[in-house]
Amino acid sequence: MWHIAKRELYDNLNSLRFALATVLLLALMLTNAVVHLREHPVRMQKYRDAATQSLNTLTSRTDLYDLAQKGPGRLYKKPSPLRFCADGGDSLLPTLTDAASYFWSTNTSRSFWRMTYPSATPNLKNIDPDATKIDWAFVIGYVLSLIALLFTFDSVSGEREHGTLRLMLANPIPRYTVLIGKFLGAFISVNIPFVIAVLMNLLVISTSRAVHLGVNEWGRLGIIVGISLLYLCLFLALGLLVSARVKQSAVSLVILLLIWVSSVIFMPNTFASIASRFSPARSYDAFQEDRRQTRRAILEAYYTQRERTEDPSKRMLIQSEYVTEDAMQDGRLRQAYLSERIAQVSQARAITRISPVAIIQHLLEVFAGTGLERHLQFVDNVQLYDREYREFITDTERADPESPHIIGIRDGMSKKKVLPESIPTFEDTLSLSKDFNTATMDLLLLTLFVVVLLAGAYLAFVRVEV
Amino acid sequence: MLKTLIRRELLDNLMTFRFAAVLLITLLLVVANTVVLVQDYEQRLESYSDSVKRHQQDLDNSKTYSTAYLFVDRAPNPLSIFNVGLDKRLGNYIGIYHGFMPTLWDARMHGTDNPFIAFFSSIDIVFVFEVILSLMGLIFAYDAIAGERERGTLRLVLAQPIGRGQILLAKYISAMACLLVPLILSLLFALLLLTRSIPLSTADFLRIAGIVLTSFAYLSVFYLIGLLISVATRRTGTALMLAMFIWGFLILVYPNLIRATVSPGGDIQARVKTAQNQIQQVLDEYERERQKFLENEGIAGEMSEFSKALGFYHEAHVNSVTLTTYIESISVLSEIRPDFEKYVPVAKRYYNFIEPLAARTVEKAWRVRKQALEEIYVKQALTDRTLLKLSPVGIYDAATQAWAGTDLLGLRDFFEAAQRYRKVKIDYLYAKDAFSSREWFVADKGPVDWSTLPTFTFQRSDVGTNAKRALPDMFLLLICNLVLFMVIVLIFLKSEV
Repeated sequence: MWHIAKRELYDNLNSLRFALATVLLLALMLTNAVVHLREHPVRMQKYRDAATQSLNTLTSRTDLYDLAQKGPGRLYKKPSPLRFCADGGDSLLPTLTDAASYFWSTNTSRSFWRMTYPSATPNLKNIDPDATKIDWAFVIGYVLSLIALLFTFDSVSGEREHGTLRLMLANPIPRYTVLIGKFLGAFISVNIPFVIAVLMNLLVISTSRAVHLGVNEWGRLGIIVGISLLYLCLFLALGLLVSARVKQSAVSLVILLLIWVSSVIFMPNTFASIASRFSPARSYDAFQEDRRQTRRAILEAYYTQRERTEDPSKRMLIQSEYVTEDAMQDGRLRQAYLSERIAQVSQARAITRISPVAIIQHLLEVFAGTGLERHLQFVDNVQLYDREYREFITDTERADPESPHIIGIRDGMSKKKVLPESIPTFEDTLSLSKDFNTATMDLLLLTLFVVVLLAGAYLAFVRVEV
Repeated sequence: MLKTLIRRELLDNLMTFRFAAVLLITLLLVVANTVVLVQDYEQRLESYSDSVKRHQQDLDNSKTYSTAYLFVDRAPNPLSIFNVGLDKRLGNYIGIYHGFMPTLWDARMHGTDNPFIAFFSSIDIVFVFEVILSLMGLIFAYDAIAGERERGTLRLVLAQPIGRGQILLAKYISAMACLLVPLILSLLFALLLLTRSIPLSTADFLRIAGIVLTSFAYLSVFYLIGLLISVATRRTGTALMLAMFIWGFLILVYPNLIRATVSPGGDIQARVKTAQNQIQQVLDEYERERQKFLENEGIAGEMSEFSKALGFYHEAHVNSVTLTTYIESISVLSEIRPDFEKYVPVAKRYYNFIEPLAARTVEKAWRVRKQALEEIYVKQALTDRTLLKLSPVGIYDAATQAWAGTDLLGLRDFFEAAQRYRKVKIDYLYAKDAFSSREWFVADKGPVDWSTLPTFTFQRSDVGTNAKRALPDMFLLLICNLVLFMVIVLIFLKSEV
């Protein structure tokens, strides 16, 4: 077996495709590293400036009413240092959530805060031509898979054409050993340029001072490389399968290329466009209309209740109820609308899993901490913090015995100065175990694909007529 | 003789597995994507007509001249099904005010789209062709000469009294005839699906013809690249490998790589900052004149009796990213208290003075802004496009966008129309003496009548303009073809059999 693998390896090492693959992968990976080093520090700086400014505004408030009314301000998503692995369409995702409060048209006071989830549309002003980011997901998902097919399309059919297959099988070696040897040979020969390119990429990135990678990041990188190798196996198995089934290597290549083009380039986007129609989210205007109606209903209820009583302390209670209710309901509606839109995208993405390239992109995004899954974690973190912040306000309010305990009105709340240290701060954390949870499905699917294709390749090869 | 050769090649090509496979996959991809694209177009069209209706309502409900919510909408381009270009990406409605210059950087999107869906890039018919046609061309060409050489038939053919150029020509003609079958068939299917639900004009059909012609030239370039490889190599195996790597590089790698390596030139931030300062100066000058007027009338100060009486609201600012210059003084009073009635003549004079001034100021600022936008954003985009044209894919994309009218120029046509419409609105306001009228700020006589305002219409540029924009790129493709063919002939003439 090792003998066959070695023979394959030597064959490949001297071939044109090996040289071309090495050059291509190296060029792509080095570009990726250079671009990351150029862009990441800028992104980090922007994030740090914005987050610090937001935090400073928050801690500069000492009045409890101010804190309760204006909320925690803007919360920012921390950019991932591993963005070079998977861009994940991060530029299409919002980087912040905003605690917004409004002026009421009825009087001069301001409403209480509610969390708003802006939708980033940076693309709206972008007149540059379309381009996919050169990240690992692109290099592995598109280029490496193509290279894997180019290395295996003739591994069985080519030998049959040359007549060497007959010679080899005349030896007392079982067929599966031949197949495994071929597989290993192709695996190693694709891996040589790939691993060199990955190492060069990491070398450039880790030697620079601009990007710091911690233990956590290196662990994630290890997982990403492991997944990439699994993905590579998938395409090698596919190549072997078709190569064993088809008599001529030219036909085998045509079939493989057409499979590759339709499953890698077209399937993810076409299926996603079809799937996103099944459960469309409400239109923005419909959402705004719902909001308007709900808020108007609350406001009218408030007016009727207020008219019934003349007692100023009761009126204060009613007003406080209105203020909190309005903020709560509006926040709830906004959150529901966000989940609707995310559900639509998640469903579309689930359908795209038929295509292996979509699987690898999801997996790389999850472990690189970018893309939609990361954004969902950010939103989760924000919502956790949202609750924590509200609890902090109620707790501080309760802790003051002199306060009338009417949240929502300046006069009804504690007048004590709030210590800046006691205000909870937002932390955008990522947890690896959560990432594993979201990735399980994709990992299983990818493994399943590999196993099925390998079994198929085995069956096809066993039945091959020489 | 040429005829015999062509017939032989034609039969050779048509009877192969690759022809059947390529035909099937092209048809499948084009039809599947056209169905999706047509649905998408219909959805966008619906959202457009909803938006037009809503904006008409908003305008009809405007109580005063100063609060006129006048928006114009951009209809989706039916040819975006062929090449979507910037049609789906850029904003599709924009406000028309005298204190604001509408450009594509200020347009907004009607809120029917889920922004997260932008994750999935939309595939248009030209993209399918970009990938498939090029692959087809290479697959048909790589063994055209090398294969015959390997099998030894080339020697036999050359032993006949035929020129080598003729052999190449025969191969080229027959292969192109074969390759046209999937191209034309899939286009016919696409058109069938399209015309069932989208009415197309004659001009649109001419534009589509232009796209087909460009596709043909593009296909030919890739066939010739394949032929070149085939002529230059001895073995089909090598030819195939080279062809595939060149394909991967030109289609997949180069367009993305070049955008990543070329960083935006110069310091954009600094350039924006200077332009912003310049515009701020223009705005400051406007503010000085406004204050001078207020002082002359003795009504200065934002908290004065005058401003309280009239619900004074005034804003003039410049955006720090897109340099949008915005001057706004909105006022809407349902009624005026009798004791404030004495301020009405002053207010009329005030608005009659500052509103035309605002319009002039914005136009002055626009001159600075226009230049800055060109230098900062447009130049960058154009450089990127030029770099992309080093690959035939880039040329093909640019040419088909120009035909479809979804390129930058096609979209700017719309915004120029919006700018012209702004002029129309200002002229209308002058004609109505709106600036000095009571209806500018008081709504006690009911909503303003807008029925005589000319409606906004936008016609996409005519076919001639599209052709003019597409021609340079088509010429480039043609030159590529000619050069490649000449090189192939030269190599083939000198090659040993």
